[in-house]
Amino acid sequence: MARLKKFLHWLLGAALLLVFDLAGRSLGAALSLPVPGPVLGMLLLMLALMLYGRVPTGLATVSEQILRLLVLIFLPASVGVYFVRDLSGGDWLALVAAMVLGTLISFALTAALLNRLIAHRTAHGAGDGQHD
Amino acid sequence: MTEAAGAWPRWLSQLQQVAGAFADPLSASHPLVILPLNIAAFWLGLKFYRRVGTPLLHPVVGGSLLVFAGLWLMDVDFPGYQRGSGLLYLLLGPSVVALAIPLKQNLAMVRRAGWPMMLGLLVGAIAAPLVAVVIAALLGGSRTVIIALTTKSVTTPVALALAQELHGIQSLAAGVVAFTGIVGAVFGPGLLRLLGIADERVMGLSLGINAHAIGTVRALEISALCAAFSALAMGLCGALTALLLPLFVG
Repeated sequence: MARLKKFLHWLLGAALLLVFDLAGRSLGAALSLPVPGPVLGMLLLMLALMLYGRVPTGLATVSEQILRLLVLIFLPASVGVYFVRDLSGGDWLALVAAMVLGTLISFALTAALLNRLIAHRTAHGAGDGQHD
Repeated sequence: MTEAAGAWPRWLSQLQQVAGAFADPLSASHPLVILPLNIAAFWLGLKFYRRVGTPLLHPVVGGSLLVFAGLWLMDVDFPGYQRGSGLLYLLLGPSVVALAIPLKQNLAMVRRAGWPMMLGLLVGAIAAPLVAVVIAALLGGSRTVIIALTTKSVTTPVALALAQELHGIQSLAAGVVAFTGIVGAVFGPGLLRLLGIADERVMGLSLGINAHAIGTVRALEISALCAAFSALAMGLCGALTALLLPLFVG
């Protein structure tokens, strides 16, 4: 009995993910927003969870499972990179340089900025003890 | 721009295609061959990664190479492989939605860290793609390359959704995201040590902003606090980028 209940909770969680995915897509299409539908679905779900106050157990289980399988889910898209043929040598060079240098530069920039912003705040003792 | 056609019918036709692929006569590109290949490659890639433990061999690297080898051996082309993997493509949307749960669970931290963190996140979310795009543009990269770079630092499911929206090449976007994540996860922590930054929150946020999920796994090796901030930054940055990017590219 407990197993059945657990399964039903899981099913409900899976259904919620699907419903919010479709809701996001529908909303995006209806308002012709340029934002990807699933991202709208994610924001809608977050809003709903904030209003609801907690995360239903089934939804937490399903999302944990799906996030653990994320690499498998986008494996087909990743494999495609070996089939990309319409880039020139110069394109590849620009791409790799931008990824390596760009990531190191933006990493250092964001860290330095965040360090200044957060350290400054902590130094002023702004731990204002807010809670959820 | 999305077509005005309803989301429901499109989803149903996608579902129908997946079911149709299962009804095809058995061949090397049949889902019953391709799905086990995907699962085996993912599982082996994960196992290998856990044994070696370096972000250089993240399961996305090992897994995709194994799949590629399998396709080559069985002489399956990419469209055939995509058709066989339809079931996984169907899960991409729900996996983006599932990111809402860790985000909600970490939201209390946002309130504690407050607006300075949000400001840092916003600047980071803009700087990460911008710096790369500028470098590529200076080196004469084509529009395809530039588009693929705009989603380099967001988590793959969001990057794929954006690539579709911006008419980019999804596969190139996925490759760029994986490579960027690996660069950030491998060199990021050392870079911050060099800069004399030791705050684990800053480390976590920087990893999440620049190296998404791969960075978050790296953050987990540093501390739970670091990983929580990284997961938070990854989620918020993904959402911010998805909202802002389509306004700039188009």
